[in-house]
Amino acid sequence: MPCTCCIIPNDVLTRLSQDKKLSATLRKQMVDTVQVSHELRELRNQAAKLTSVTAARSAGLVTLAAAPSVTAYDCRHTQSLPGTPVSKPKTSSDSSVKRAFNQTGKVAKFYQQVFNRNSIDDHGMTMMSSVHFGENYNNAMWNGSQMIYGDGDGSIFVDFTRGADVIGHELTHGVTQHSLQLAYNGDAGGLNESVSDCFGSMFRQWESKQDAKKADWLIGRDIMGPSAKKKGFTCLRDMADPAAKHCLAPQPTRYSQITPGMDPHYSSGPPNLAFYTACTTLGGYSWARIGQVWYHSLTGFGPTPNMTMKAFAARTRQGAHTLYPGEAAVFAAVDAGWKKVGL
Amino acid sequence: MDRLKIERVGGVAGFGGPHLKSRGELALSDLSAADRKTVEQLFAEPDKVPAARRGQADAFSYRITRGAQTIEVPEHAVPPAIRNSVKDTLE
Repeated sequence: MPCTCCIIPNDVLTRLSQDKKLSATLRKQMVDTVQVSHELRELRNQAAKLTSVTAARSAGLVTLAAAPSVTAYDCRHTQSLPGTPVSKPKTSSDSSVKRAFNQTGKVAKFYQQVFNRNSIDDHGMTMMSSVHFGENYNNAMWNGSQMIYGDGDGSIFVDFTRGADVIGHELTHGVTQHSLQLAYNGDAGGLNESVSDCFGSMFRQWESKQDAKKADWLIGRDIMGPSAKKKGFTCLRDMADPAAKHCLAPQPTRYSQITPGMDPHYSSGPPNLAFYTACTTLGGYSWARIGQVWYHSLTGFGPTPNMTMKAFAARTRQGAHTLYPGEAAVFAAVDAGWKKVGL
Repeated sequence: MDRLKIERVGGVAGFGGPHLKSRGELALSDLSAADRKTVEQLFAEPDKVPAARRGQADAFSYRITRGAQTIEVPEHAVPPAIRNSVKDTLE
C-alpha cells in the first residue's frame, strides 16, 4: 500500500515511525516519507531563495528564452501536481486544457506587448498550468511556481479556466513573487491581491480593446455558477463598487475599514477602488497610463515584502510624476484614486 | 472533545466571507490512526503548524476547532479526510 503521508509534519511522521502499534511496513514507509519530504522542503527553500536572489540581481542575468514556453498538465481530478503532461494543448479536445493554454499565452503576450515583460520572472520562465485539479474544486491558485485550476462544482462556480481575468490574476501573483515579493497578510496581503485583480482586469479589457469607462470592472464574472447567479451574485468582486450587493465577496471601500487579520481578498477592496477611480478619472485604456504607473510601482524597486498601502500609494503618485512629467492629469487621476479610499 | 468542526477559508473567491462558506464536521474516531495522531499533534503544538508555502497565493486554509481551541492549517498540511469533510454553500 503506498504511503500517502507526505503532508504530515516530519516530527509527527518521525514519532509515528517509532510507534510500535503501527505495522512495520507503515513505519518503514513513514521513514521513507520523512526523507523524501526533507528533500522536497529543501528544494522549496532553495527555490524561494533563488527567487529572492534573482529578483535582486536580475539585471545581470541571461534571458532563458525570448518568449516563454507555455505548458499544460491534466491532474485528472486528483490533487497530485503537476499531473500528466498534455502534448498538444493548443488543439486539445479538452476545453479546460485548451483555454488554460491559450489564455496563458495571451497573458504572456499582454505582459510582453504592454509592459515589455518577458514572462513571470522577466527572463522567459516557463508558464505552467495544471487543470482538473481535485474533485469539483472551487478554486484557482498560484502555488509559488505554477498555476492550478479546479473545475468548480458546477453549482456555485463553473470551470475556473473560463475566467480570463482569473488566469491573468493567478499569473500576476507570479509576477508579484518575482518583483515586489509582497507578503500575504496585513496591508501587503491586500496589495498582493489587489495587484492581481488590477492586472487580471486590465488583461480582460486589453483582450477586448475596451476603454476604462466601458469596462465592467468585475472580477470572476465568467466563473459564476447557476446557483450563485440565481441568488443575484454576478461576480466575486466589483472594482468599481467593492461593497455592492451583487458581489459574492463584498469588500470595504475605505482604508480605515480594513481590520486586523482580514482576508486579503477583502482588504484588497480599497486599492482596487483606487485603481478603478484613477483609470476612469483619466479615461482611455487602463493599461496605457495608469497601468504603467502601477506596473512601475510593482516592478521598478526590488522586493518590499511588508509594503503598506500608504507607501504603495506614495510610490504610484511619485511614479505618475516620473513616468509622465508633462502630463499633470495622470498624477491628478492617481491622487484622486487614493484620496477616494482615504489614502 | 471527539468532534472536530472544520471551516475552509480563503481561495481566490474568499471563502469565509458573508456569503461563501465551506464547513464540515467529523469525529476524531472517524479518522485513521495516523490522521488522528496528526490532528492531536497539531492541537498539542499549535506553534508548529506548518506555514503557508512561500510565494503561494489564493490557496485554502482550514480552521479546525476542537472544544474551545481553534487552529488554522494550510491546505497542504491538512489530512485528506478533513479536506473532504467540508461542503461549499451560499448564504
